[in-house]
Amino acid sequence: MSTAKKKTPLFDWHQEHGGNMVEFGDYIMPLWYASGTKKEHLSVITDAGLFDTSHMAAVLVDGPGAYELIQFCFTRDLDACIGKDNKPIKPGRCVYGAFLSEQGHAIDDGIVYQVNDTDYIIVVNAGMGGVIAAHLNSNLGGRQAEITDLTDQLGKIDIQGPAAVKTMQAVLKNPEQVFKKLLYFSFKGHFDDRAPTAEQVQLLDGTPFLLSRSGYTGEVGFEIFTQRKHAVNVWETIVAAGQPFGLVACGLASRDSLRTGAVLPLSHQDIGNWTYANHPWPFALPFDVSGSRFTKSFLGAEVLQAAGPDERTLTYVGHDLRKVDAHGARVIDADGTDIGTVLTCATDMAIGRHEGKIYSLASADKPEGVKIKGLCCGFIKVNKGLAPGDVVTLQDQKRKLKVSIETNVRPARTARKPLRTFLK
Amino acid sequence: MTKEAHELNLPADIKYAKAHEWARVDGEIVIVGLDDYAQDQLGDIVFVEMPEVGETFDKDSVFANVESVKAVSECYSPVSGEIVEINERLEDEPELVNNDCYGDGWFVKIKATNLAEMDSLMDHEKCRASVKGE
Repeated sequence: MSTAKKKTPLFDWHQEHGGNMVEFGDYIMPLWYASGTKKEHLSVITDAGLFDTSHMAAVLVDGPGAYELIQFCFTRDLDACIGKDNKPIKPGRCVYGAFLSEQGHAIDDGIVYQVNDTDYIIVVNAGMGGVIAAHLNSNLGGRQAEITDLTDQLGKIDIQGPAAVKTMQAVLKNPEQVFKKLLYFSFKGHFDDRAPTAEQVQLLDGTPFLLSRSGYTGEVGFEIFTQRKHAVNVWETIVAAGQPFGLVACGLASRDSLRTGAVLPLSHQDIGNWTYANHPWPFALPFDVSGSRFTKSFLGAEVLQAAGPDERTLTYVGHDLRKVDAHGARVIDADGTDIGTVLTCATDMAIGRHEGKIYSLASADKPEGVKIKGLCCGFIKVNKGLAPGDVVTLQDQKRKLKVSIETNVRPARTARKPLRTFLK
Repeated sequence: MTKEAHELNLPADIKYAKAHEWARVDGEIVIVGLDDYAQDQLGDIVFVEMPEVGETFDKDSVFANVESVKAVSECYSPVSGEIVEINERLEDEPELVNNDCYGDGWFVKIKATNLAEMDSLMDHEKCRASVKGE
Protein backbone atom coordinates (compact mmCIF):
# COMPACT_ATOMS: atom_id res chain seq x y z
CA MET A 1 0.00 0.00 0.00
CA SER A 2 1.29 3.45 -0.84
CA THR A 3 1.81 5.86 1.99
CA ALA A 4 2.62 8.75 -0.37
CA LYS A 5 1.17 11.99 0.89
CA LYS A 6 -1.02 14.14 -1.31
CA LYS A 7 -0.04 17.55 -2.60
CA THR A 8 -2.33 20.50 -3.09
CA PRO A 9 -2.09 22.41 -6.40
CA LEU A 10 -0.01 25.03 -4.52
CA PHE A 11 2.64 22.59 -3.26
CA ASP A 12 5.34 23.84 -5.64
CA TRP A 13 4.60 27.46 -4.75
CA HIS A 14 4.98 26.70 -1.05
CA GLN A 15 8.30 24.97 -1.60
CA GLU A 16 9.63 27.77 -3.77
CA HIS A 17 8.61 30.36 -1.20
CA GLY A 18 10.16 28.93 1.94
CA GLY A 19 7.19 26.94 3.20
CA ASN A 20 8.15 24.62 6.07
CA MET A 21 6.33 21.57 4.69
CA VAL A 22 4.96 18.95 7.08
CA GLU A 23 2.67 15.97 6.90
CA PHE A 24 -0.86 16.87 7.94
CA GLY A 25 -3.30 14.00 7.64
CA ASP A 26 -3.02 12.72 4.08
CA TYR A 27 -1.43 15.94 2.84
CA ILE A 28 1.87 17.79 2.83
CA MET A 29 1.09 21.31 3.95
CA PRO A 30 3.06 24.43 4.93
CA LEU A 31 3.28 24.81 8.73
CA TRP A 32 4.81 28.27 8.34
CA TYR A 33 6.94 30.27 5.93
CA ALA A 34 10.30 31.97 6.48
CA SER A 35 8.71 35.02 8.13
CA GLY A 36 7.52 32.80 10.97
CA THR A 37 4.22 31.93 12.65
CA LYS A 38 4.17 34.93 14.96
CA LYS A 39 4.31 37.39 12.08
CA GLU A 40 1.75 35.35 10.15
CA HIS A 41 -0.66 35.35 13.10
CA LEU A 42 -0.23 39.08 13.76
CA SER A 43 -0.54 39.96 10.07
CA VAL A 44 -4.06 38.54 9.97
CA ILE A 45 -5.03 40.83 12.86
CA THR A 46 -3.36 43.96 11.47
CA ASP A 47 -3.21 43.39 7.68
CA ALA A 48 -4.05 40.13 5.93
CA GLY A 49 -2.94 36.54 5.48
CA LEU A 50 -3.37 34.02 2.66
CA PHE A 51 -3.90 30.33 3.44
CA ASP A 52 -3.85 27.29 1.16
CA THR A 53 -6.76 25.19 2.40
CA SER A 54 -7.06 23.00 -0.70
CA HIS A 55 -6.78 19.92 1.51
CA MET A 56 -10.35 20.57 2.63
CA ALA A 57 -13.09 18.74 0.75
CA ALA A 58 -16.28 19.77 -1.01
CA VAL A 59 -19.27 17.48 -1.56
CA LEU A 60 -22.11 18.33 -3.95
CA VAL A 61 -25.65 17.33 -3.05
CA ASP A 62 -28.05 17.88 -5.94
CA GLY A 63 -31.65 16.88 -6.56
CA PRO A 64 -35.20 17.31 -5.33
CA GLY A 65 -34.39 15.39 -2.12
CA ALA A 66 -31.18 17.31 -1.32
CA TYR A 67 -32.83 19.73 1.10
CA GLU A 68 -34.52 17.01 3.14
CA LEU A 69 -31.38 14.87 3.19
CA ILE A 70 -29.30 17.75 4.59
CA GLN A 71 -32.07 18.59 7.05
CA PHE A 72 -31.85 15.04 8.36
CA CYS A 73 -28.03 14.83 8.53
CA PHE A 74 -26.92 18.35 9.48
CA THR A 75 -27.24 20.01 12.90
CA ARG A 76 -28.58 23.32 11.55
CA ASP A 77 -32.25 23.77 10.66
CA LEU A 78 -32.24 25.01 7.06
CA ASP A 79 -35.77 26.32 7.68
CA ALA A 80 -34.54 28.54 10.50
CA CYS A 81 -30.86 29.48 10.40
CA ILE A 82 -30.32 32.93 8.88
CA GLY A 83 -29.95 36.05 10.97
CA LYS A 84 -31.43 36.98 14.33
CA ASP A 85 -34.95 36.08 13.18
CA ASN A 86 -33.93 32.56 12.17
CA LYS A 87 -35.11 32.85 8.58
CA PRO A 88 -34.82 29.93 6.14
CA ILE A 89 -31.63 29.49 4.12
CA LYS A 90 -31.77 30.95 0.62
CA PRO A 91 -29.54 30.85 -2.46
CA GLY A 92 -26.26 32.65 -1.77
CA ARG A 93 -26.27 31.92 1.95
CA CYS A 94 -24.26 29.34 3.87
CA VAL A 95 -24.41 27.97 7.41
CA TYR A 96 -21.99 26.27 9.76
CA GLY A 97 -22.94 23.09 11.60
CA ALA A 98 -22.00 19.47 12.17
CA PHE A 99 -22.79 15.97 10.93
CA LEU A 100 -23.58 13.56 13.73
CA SER A 101 -23.78 9.82 14.03
CA GLU A 102 -26.90 8.14 15.40
CA GLN A 103 -25.11 8.16 18.79
CA GLY A 104 -24.93 11.96 18.62
CA HIS A 105 -21.17 11.98 18.10
CA ALA A 106 -19.59 14.49 15.69
CA ILE A 107 -18.42 12.85 12.46
CA ASP A 108 -17.22 16.22 11.18
CA ASP A 109 -18.18 19.87 11.05
CA GLY A 110 -18.75 21.81 7.87
CA ILE A 111 -20.49 24.58 5.99
CA VAL A 112 -23.56 24.02 3.81
CA TYR A 113 -23.91 26.38 0.82
CA GLN A 114 -27.27 26.73 -0.89
CA VAL A 115 -26.63 27.36 -4.62
CA ASN A 116 -30.35 26.99 -5.35
CA ASP A 117 -33.32 25.06 -3.91
CA THR A 118 -32.00 21.74 -5.16
CA ASP A 119 -28.20 22.28 -5.37
CA TYR A 120 -25.94 22.39 -2.32
CA ILE A 121 -22.21 22.42 -1.70
CA ILE A 122 -21.00 21.01 1.60
CA VAL A 123 -17.47 21.91 2.66
CA VAL A 124 -15.89 19.61 5.22
CA ASN A 125 -12.44 18.93 6.62
CA ALA A 126 -9.40 17.33 4.99
CA GLY A 127 -9.93 13.67 4.25
CA MET A 128 -13.63 13.85 5.16
CA GLY A 129 -15.15 14.27 1.66
CA GLY A 130 -15.48 10.54 1.12
CA VAL A 131 -16.66 9.93 4.69
CA ILE A 132 -19.41 12.55 4.57
CA ALA A 133 -20.45 11.53 1.02
CA ALA A 134 -20.81 7.92 2.21
CA HIS A 135 -22.66 9.06 5.34
CA LEU A 136 -25.14 11.05 3.23
CA ASN A 137 -25.59 8.16 0.82
CA SER A 138 -26.29 5.72 3.62
CA ASN A 139 -28.98 8.05 4.97
CA LEU A 140 -30.62 8.75 1.61
CA GLY A 141 -33.70 6.67 2.39
CA GLY A 142 -36.13 7.27 -0.44
CA ARG A 143 -34.89 10.79 -1.11
CA GLN A 144 -33.75 11.74 -4.59
CA ALA A 145 -30.32 13.31 -4.40
CA GLU A 146 -27.04 12.85 -6.21
CA ILE A 147 -23.97 13.04 -4.00
CA THR A 148 -20.60 13.89 -5.58
CA ASP A 149 -17.35 13.97 -3.62
CA LEU A 150 -15.07 16.66 -5.11
CA THR A 151 -12.06 15.79 -2.92
CA ASP A 152 -8.82 17.03 -4.60
CA GLN A 153 -10.71 18.52 -7.54
CA LEU A 154 -10.79 22.08 -6.27
CA GLY A 155 -8.33 24.69 -5.11
CA LYS A 156 -9.35 26.42 -1.89
CA ILE A 157 -7.69 29.65 -0.78
CA ASP A 158 -8.60 31.69 2.31
CA ILE A 159 -7.75 35.38 2.53
CA GLN A 160 -8.29 36.69 6.05
CA GLY A 161 -7.72 39.99 7.83
CA PRO A 162 -8.75 43.64 7.40
CA ALA A 163 -6.67 44.15 4.23
CA ALA A 164 -8.39 41.16 2.60
CA VAL A 165 -11.17 43.43 1.40
CA LYS A 166 -8.90 45.94 -0.38
CA THR A 167 -6.82 43.12 -1.81
CA MET A 168 -9.86 41.41 -3.30
CA GLN A 169 -11.15 44.76 -4.54
CA ALA A 170 -7.93 45.02 -6.57
CA VAL A 171 -8.24 41.60 -8.23
CA LEU A 172 -11.98 41.30 -8.89
CA LYS A 173 -13.57 42.21 -12.19
CA ASN A 174 -16.54 43.97 -10.59
CA PRO A 175 -15.79 44.44 -6.89
CA GLU A 176 -18.66 46.85 -6.13
CA GLN A 177 -21.22 44.31 -7.35
CA VAL A 178 -19.48 41.41 -5.63
CA PHE A 179 -19.24 43.17 -2.25
CA LYS A 180 -22.81 44.48 -2.41
CA LYS A 181 -24.87 42.78 0.32
CA LEU A 182 -22.14 40.17 0.75
CA LEU A 183 -23.02 39.59 4.40
CA TYR A 184 -21.11 37.40 6.84
CA PHE A 185 -21.78 33.80 5.77
CA SER A 186 -22.99 34.56 2.27
CA PHE A 187 -21.35 33.83 -1.08
CA LYS A 188 -21.41 34.61 -4.77
CA GLY A 189 -20.04 32.99 -7.92
CA HIS A 190 -19.17 29.38 -8.63
CA PHE A 191 -16.07 27.30 -9.32
CA ASP A 192 -17.91 25.48 -12.12
CA ASP A 193 -17.84 27.76 -15.18
CA ARG A 194 -21.00 26.06 -16.49
CA ALA A 195 -23.00 27.21 -13.45
CA PRO A 196 -25.33 30.17 -14.10
CA THR A 197 -23.79 32.02 -11.14
CA ALA A 198 -20.19 31.59 -12.41
CA GLU A 199 -20.25 35.05 -14.00
CA GLN A 200 -20.86 36.74 -10.64
CA VAL A 201 -17.27 36.53 -9.42
CA GLN A 202 -14.21 36.57 -11.66
CA LEU A 203 -10.62 37.69 -11.56
CA LEU A 204 -9.79 40.55 -13.96
CA ASP A 205 -8.60 37.87 -16.43
CA GLY A 206 -12.00 36.14 -16.29
CA THR A 207 -11.10 33.20 -14.02
CA PRO A 208 -14.34 32.28 -12.21
CA PHE A 209 -14.52 31.27 -8.58
CA LEU A 210 -16.85 30.98 -5.64
CA LEU A 211 -16.25 33.71 -3.06
CA SER A 212 -17.59 33.02 0.41
CA ARG A 213 -17.50 35.65 3.13
CA SER A 214 -16.36 33.31 5.87
CA GLY A 215 -13.20 31.86 7.30
CA TYR A 216 -11.50 30.18 10.22
CA THR A 217 -9.68 33.06 11.91
CA GLY A 218 -12.39 35.26 13.39
CA GLU A 219 -11.24 38.09 11.16
CA VAL A 220 -12.96 39.56 8.12
CA GLY A 221 -12.18 37.73 4.91
CA PHE A 222 -13.11 35.25 2.27
CA GLU A 223 -12.85 31.61 1.35
CA ILE A 224 -12.27 31.08 -2.36
CA PHE A 225 -13.13 27.89 -4.25
CA THR A 226 -11.81 27.43 -7.76
CA GLN A 227 -11.07 24.68 -10.24
CA ARG A 228 -7.83 22.97 -9.27
CA LYS A 229 -6.17 24.13 -12.51
CA HIS A 230 -6.83 27.78 -11.63
CA ALA A 231 -5.51 27.63 -8.06
CA VAL A 232 -1.95 28.83 -8.75
CA ASN A 233 -3.16 31.72 -10.92
CA VAL A 234 -5.68 32.86 -8.31
CA TRP A 235 -3.13 32.52 -5.49
CA GLU A 236 -0.35 34.40 -7.32
CA THR A 237 -2.72 37.15 -8.47
CA ILE A 238 -3.86 37.73 -4.89
CA VAL A 239 -0.31 37.58 -3.49
CA ALA A 240 0.81 40.28 -5.95
CA ALA A 241 -2.21 42.50 -5.33
CA GLY A 242 -1.91 42.15 -1.56
CA GLN A 243 1.75 43.14 -1.34
CA PRO A 244 1.10 46.89 -0.83
CA PHE A 245 -1.42 46.02 1.88
CA GLY A 246 0.93 43.80 3.91
CA LEU A 247 -0.58 40.45 2.85
CA VAL A 248 1.59 37.47 3.83
CA ALA A 249 1.30 33.77 3.05
CA CYS A 250 0.34 31.87 6.22
CA GLY A 251 0.79 28.24 7.23
CA LEU A 252 -1.27 25.84 9.31
CA ALA A 253 0.32 26.86 12.63
CA SER A 254 -1.03 30.41 12.49
CA ARG A 255 -4.35 29.09 11.18
CA ASP A 256 -4.57 26.98 14.33
CA SER A 257 -3.64 29.76 16.76
CA LEU A 258 -5.98 32.25 15.04
CA ARG A 259 -8.97 29.90 15.13
CA THR A 260 -8.34 29.10 18.79
CA GLY A 261 -8.33 32.81 19.62
CA ALA A 262 -11.59 33.08 17.70
CA VAL A 263 -13.11 30.26 19.85
CA LEU A 264 -13.62 27.99 16.84
CA PRO A 265 -13.32 24.20 17.22
CA LEU A 266 -10.97 21.94 15.31
CA SER A 267 -12.83 18.84 14.18
CA HIS A 268 -11.47 15.57 15.60
CA GLN A 269 -9.74 17.50 18.36
CA ASP A 270 -12.30 19.78 20.03
CA ILE A 271 -15.34 17.96 18.68
CA GLY A 272 -15.29 14.31 17.73
CA ASN A 273 -16.25 10.86 18.75
CA TRP A 274 -18.23 11.93 21.81
CA THR A 275 -21.65 13.48 22.42
CA TYR A 276 -21.95 16.77 20.56
CA ALA A 277 -23.42 18.75 23.47
CA ASN A 278 -22.41 21.05 26.35
CA HIS A 279 -19.81 22.88 24.28
CA PRO A 280 -19.05 26.51 23.38
CA TRP A 281 -20.82 26.16 20.00
CA PRO A 282 -24.55 25.90 20.81
CA PHE A 283 -25.24 28.08 17.75
CA ALA A 284 -24.39 25.02 15.64
CA LEU A 285 -27.45 23.24 17.05
CA PRO A 286 -31.07 24.03 16.04
CA PHE A 287 -32.30 25.33 19.40
CA ASP A 288 -35.65 27.09 19.51
CA VAL A 289 -36.08 30.38 21.41
CA SER A 290 -36.29 28.50 24.71
CA GLY A 291 -32.75 27.31 24.12
CA SER A 292 -33.60 23.80 25.29
CA ARG A 293 -35.63 22.19 22.49
CA PHE A 294 -34.72 21.65 18.84
CA THR A 295 -36.78 23.08 15.98
CA LYS A 296 -36.34 19.93 13.90
CA SER A 297 -35.52 16.27 14.28
CA PHE A 298 -32.26 15.03 12.82
CA LEU A 299 -29.76 12.24 13.08
CA GLY A 300 -28.31 12.17 16.60
CA ALA A 301 -30.83 14.64 18.03
CA GLU A 302 -32.47 12.16 20.39
CA VAL A 303 -29.24 11.50 22.22
CA LEU A 304 -28.54 15.22 22.58
CA GLN A 305 -32.08 15.90 23.84
CA ALA A 306 -31.81 13.14 26.42
CA ALA A 307 -30.28 13.79 29.83
CA GLY A 308 -27.07 15.06 28.30
CA PRO A 309 -23.53 13.99 29.11
CA ASP A 310 -21.74 14.81 32.33
CA GLU A 311 -18.79 16.09 30.35
CA ARG A 312 -18.67 19.60 29.05
CA THR A 313 -16.25 21.49 26.81
CA LEU A 314 -15.09 24.89 28.04
CA THR A 315 -12.88 27.70 26.76
CA TYR A 316 -9.89 28.88 28.79
CA VAL A 317 -7.23 31.56 28.57
CA GLY A 318 -3.92 31.51 30.42
CA HIS A 319 -1.97 34.32 32.05
CA ASP A 320 1.09 34.27 29.82
CA LEU A 321 1.96 32.61 26.53
CA ARG A 322 3.30 29.33 27.89
CA LYS A 323 1.52 26.21 26.64
CA VAL A 324 1.15 22.62 27.69
CA ASP A 325 1.36 19.73 25.28
CA ALA A 326 -2.35 19.04 24.76
CA HIS A 327 -1.71 15.35 24.05
CA GLY A 328 -2.31 13.66 27.36
CA ALA A 329 -2.41 16.85 29.46
CA ARG A 330 -4.83 16.79 32.41
CA VAL A 331 -7.08 19.42 33.97
CA ILE A 332 -6.85 19.77 37.76
CA ASP A 333 -9.42 21.82 39.68
CA ALA A 334 -8.85 24.05 42.72
CA ASP A 335 -9.32 21.08 45.07
CA GLY A 336 -6.58 19.14 43.31
CA THR A 337 -9.01 16.75 41.60
CA ASP A 338 -8.34 15.55 38.08
CA ILE A 339 -11.47 16.67 36.20
CA GLY A 340 -10.65 16.07 32.56
CA THR A 341 -8.48 16.53 29.51
CA VAL A 342 -7.01 19.34 27.41
CA LEU A 343 -8.36 19.34 23.85
CA THR A 344 -6.48 22.32 22.39
CA CYS A 345 -3.68 24.48 23.77
CA ALA A 346 -2.37 27.20 21.46
CA THR A 347 -0.96 30.70 21.83
CA ASP A 348 -2.82 33.68 20.46
CA MET A 349 0.10 36.07 19.94
CA ALA A 350 -2.17 39.08 19.44
CA ILE A 351 -3.60 39.26 22.97
CA GLY A 352 -2.49 40.15 26.49
CA ARG A 353 -4.03 40.63 29.92
CA HIS A 354 -4.16 43.93 31.74
CA GLU A 355 -5.67 43.90 35.24
CA GLY A 356 -7.26 40.57 34.37
CA LYS A 357 -9.01 41.77 31.24
CA ILE A 358 -7.96 40.50 27.82
CA TYR A 359 -7.03 43.01 25.14
CA SER A 360 -6.09 42.47 21.50
CA LEU A 361 -3.64 44.45 19.44
CA ALA A 362 -6.79 45.54 17.60
CA SER A 363 -8.72 46.61 20.74
CA ALA A 364 -9.67 50.27 20.41
CA ASP A 365 -10.06 50.50 24.21
CA LYS A 366 -6.71 49.05 25.23
CA PRO A 367 -5.07 51.03 28.02
CA GLU A 368 -1.86 52.86 27.30
CA GLY A 369 1.23 50.84 28.06
CA VAL A 370 -0.51 47.45 27.98
CA LYS A 371 1.98 44.83 26.82
CA ILE A 372 0.64 42.37 24.26
CA LYS A 373 2.91 39.32 24.40
CA GLY A 374 0.43 36.55 23.67
CA LEU A 375 -1.64 34.25 25.88
CA CYS A 376 -2.16 30.52 25.79
CA CYS A 377 -5.76 29.52 25.13
CA GLY A 378 -7.87 26.62 24.04
CA PHE A 379 -10.49 24.10 25.12
CA ILE A 380 -10.82 21.55 27.90
CA LYS A 381 -13.31 18.72 28.38
CA VAL A 382 -14.19 18.31 32.06
CA ASN A 383 -16.68 16.39 34.19
CA LYS A 384 -17.87 19.29 36.33
CA GLY A 385 -19.34 22.72 35.74
CA LEU A 386 -17.06 25.74 35.97
CA ALA A 387 -17.92 29.42 35.71
CA PRO A 388 -16.05 32.16 33.84
CA GLY A 389 -13.18 33.30 36.02
CA ASP A 390 -12.72 29.92 37.71
CA VAL A 391 -9.09 28.86 37.73
CA VAL A 392 -7.91 25.36 36.83
CA THR A 393 -4.44 23.92 36.34
CA LEU A 394 -3.36 22.28 33.11
CA GLN A 395 -0.70 19.69 33.73
CA ASP A 396 1.51 17.89 31.23
CA GLN A 397 4.76 15.97 31.69
CA LYS A 398 6.77 19.16 31.97
CA ARG A 399 4.76 21.85 33.68
CA LYS A 400 1.63 23.04 35.44
CA LEU A 401 -0.13 26.11 34.10
CA LYS A 402 -2.91 28.02 35.82
CA VAL A 403 -5.58 29.16 33.36
CA SER A 404 -8.97 30.84 33.73
CA ILE A 405 -12.28 29.73 32.28
CA GLU A 406 -13.49 32.37 29.81
CA THR A 407 -16.36 32.77 27.36
CA ASN A 408 -14.27 34.66 24.81
CA VAL A 409 -10.59 34.73 23.88
CA ARG A 410 -9.48 37.43 21.40
CA PRO A 411 -11.64 40.56 21.58
CA ALA A 412 -12.21 43.06 18.76
CA ARG A 413 -12.49 40.44 16.04
CA THR A 414 -13.48 41.82 12.64
CA ALA A 415 -15.32 38.92 10.94
CA ARG A 416 -18.79 40.46 11.23
CA LYS A 417 -17.97 44.09 10.49
CA PRO A 418 -19.46 45.56 7.29
CA LEU A 419 -17.11 45.23 4.31
CA ARG A 420 -17.29 48.97 3.58
CA THR A 421 -15.47 49.72 6.86
CA PHE A 422 -12.37 48.09 5.37
CA LEU A 423 -12.42 50.07 2.11
CA LYS A 424 -11.85 53.52 3.66
CA MET B 1 11.50 24.46 4.50
CA THR B 2 13.62 23.68 7.46
CA LYS B 3 17.31 23.78 6.65
CA GLU B 4 19.20 20.85 5.15
CA ALA B 5 22.32 19.71 7.00
CA HIS B 6 24.63 21.55 4.57
CA GLU B 7 22.68 24.78 5.06
CA LEU B 8 23.17 24.92 8.82
CA ASN B 9 25.42 27.58 10.29
CA LEU B 10 27.63 25.62 12.70
CA PRO B 11 30.67 27.72 13.65
CA ALA B 12 33.94 25.83 14.10
CA ASP B 13 35.01 27.63 17.28
CA ILE B 14 32.28 26.20 19.54
CA LYS B 15 31.15 22.77 20.75
CA TYR B 16 27.73 21.13 20.38
CA ALA B 17 25.66 18.90 22.66
CA LYS B 18 23.37 16.11 21.46
CA ALA B 19 20.20 18.14 22.00
CA HIS B 20 21.73 21.02 19.99
CA GLU B 21 22.86 23.32 22.73
CA TRP B 22 26.15 25.04 21.88
CA ALA B 23 28.94 25.87 24.34
CA ARG B 24 31.79 28.35 24.03
CA VAL B 25 34.61 28.49 26.59
CA ASP B 26 35.73 31.88 27.83
CA GLY B 27 38.26 31.38 30.62
CA GLU B 28 36.46 29.28 33.25
CA ILE B 29 33.07 30.47 32.01
CA VAL B 30 31.06 28.53 29.43
CA ILE B 31 28.55 30.50 27.34
CA VAL B 32 25.56 28.39 26.28
CA GLY B 33 22.82 28.78 23.67
CA LEU B 34 20.77 26.86 21.13
CA ASP B 35 22.35 26.04 17.79
CA ASP B 36 21.06 26.83 14.32
CA TYR B 37 19.53 23.39 13.91
CA ALA B 38 17.49 23.72 17.12
CA GLN B 39 16.21 27.23 16.41
CA ASP B 40 15.33 26.26 12.83
CA GLN B 41 13.45 23.13 13.89
CA LEU B 42 11.57 24.90 16.68
CA GLY B 43 10.27 27.73 14.51
CA ASP B 44 9.38 31.06 16.12
CA ILE B 45 10.61 31.08 19.69
CA VAL B 46 8.14 33.08 21.74
CA PHE B 47 9.30 32.54 25.32
CA VAL B 48 12.38 31.35 27.18
CA GLU B 49 12.00 30.10 30.75
CA MET B 50 15.39 30.88 32.30
CA PRO B 51 17.11 29.59 35.43
CA GLU B 52 18.08 31.97 38.24
CA VAL B 53 21.61 33.26 38.64
CA GLY B 54 23.27 31.14 41.37
CA GLU B 55 21.44 27.91 40.49
CA THR B 56 23.68 24.94 39.83
CA PHE B 57 23.13 22.24 37.22
CA ASP B 58 24.70 18.91 36.46
CA LYS B 59 25.77 18.18 32.92
CA ASP B 60 22.78 16.99 30.85
CA SER B 61 20.18 18.28 33.32
CA VAL B 62 17.41 20.65 32.25
CA PHE B 63 18.36 24.29 32.86
CA ALA B 64 15.82 26.12 30.64
CA ASN B 65 12.58 25.62 28.70
CA VAL B 66 12.03 27.10 25.30
CA GLU B 67 8.52 27.78 24.08
CA SER B 68 8.09 27.85 20.33
CA VAL B 69 4.88 28.06 18.39
CA LYS B 70 5.16 24.32 17.97
CA ALA B 71 6.07 22.97 21.36
CA VAL B 72 7.85 23.36 24.66
CA SER B 73 11.41 22.07 24.53
CA GLU B 74 13.89 21.45 27.28
CA CYS B 75 17.46 22.70 27.16
CA TYR B 76 20.12 20.50 28.74
CA SER B 77 23.21 21.94 30.32
CA PRO B 78 26.26 20.93 28.24
CA VAL B 79 28.51 21.19 31.34
CA SER B 80 28.12 21.09 35.12
CA GLY B 81 28.34 24.34 37.02
CA GLU B 82 26.73 27.45 38.41
CA ILE B 83 24.71 30.01 36.44
CA VAL B 84 26.58 33.30 36.75
CA GLU B 85 24.64 35.32 34.20
CA ILE B 86 21.46 34.99 32.13
CA ASN B 87 20.63 36.83 28.92
CA GLU B 88 17.92 39.15 30.20
CA ARG B 89 17.20 40.48 26.73
CA LEU B 90 15.49 37.19 25.89
CA GLU B 91 12.64 38.07 28.24
CA ASP B 92 11.41 40.77 25.91
CA GLU B 93 13.06 39.63 22.68
CA PRO B 94 12.91 35.82 22.50
CA GLU B 95 13.14 36.16 18.71
CA LEU B 96 16.87 36.87 19.21
CA VAL B 97 17.27 33.09 19.50
CA ASN B 98 15.97 32.73 15.95
CA ASN B 99 17.71 35.78 14.55
CA ASP B 100 21.18 35.50 16.14
CA CYS B 101 21.53 32.19 17.94
CA TYR B 102 25.32 32.40 18.47
CA GLY B 103 25.38 36.14 19.26
CA ASP B 104 22.62 38.17 20.94
CA GLY B 105 20.52 35.02 21.33
CA TRP B 106 22.83 33.34 23.93
CA PHE B 107 21.09 31.89 26.98
CA VAL B 108 23.35 31.64 30.03
CA LYS B 109 26.92 31.84 31.28
CA ILE B 110 27.94 28.90 33.45
CA LYS B 111 30.94 28.77 35.78
CA ALA B 112 32.03 25.25 34.97
CA THR B 113 33.08 22.88 37.74
CA ASN B 114 34.96 20.63 35.33
CA LEU B 115 36.01 22.08 32.01
CA ALA B 116 37.11 18.64 30.87
CA GLU B 117 33.39 17.94 30.27
CA MET B 118 33.75 20.09 27.13
CA ASP B 119 35.70 17.22 25.57
CA SER B 120 32.59 15.04 25.51
CA LEU B 121 30.78 17.52 23.25
CA MET B 122 30.75 17.35 19.46
CA ASP B 123 32.73 19.60 17.16
CA HIS B 124 30.95 21.25 14.21
CA GLU B 125 31.73 18.40 11.81
CA LYS B 126 30.35 15.74 14.14
CA CYS B 127 27.33 17.90 14.81
CA ARG B 128 26.57 18.25 11.10
CA ALA B 129 27.09 14.53 10.61
CA SER B 130 24.65 13.80 13.44
CA VAL B 131 22.00 15.93 11.72
CA LYS B 132 22.52 13.88 8.56
CA GLY B 133 22.00 10.77 10.66
CA GLU B 134 25.59 9.57 10.13
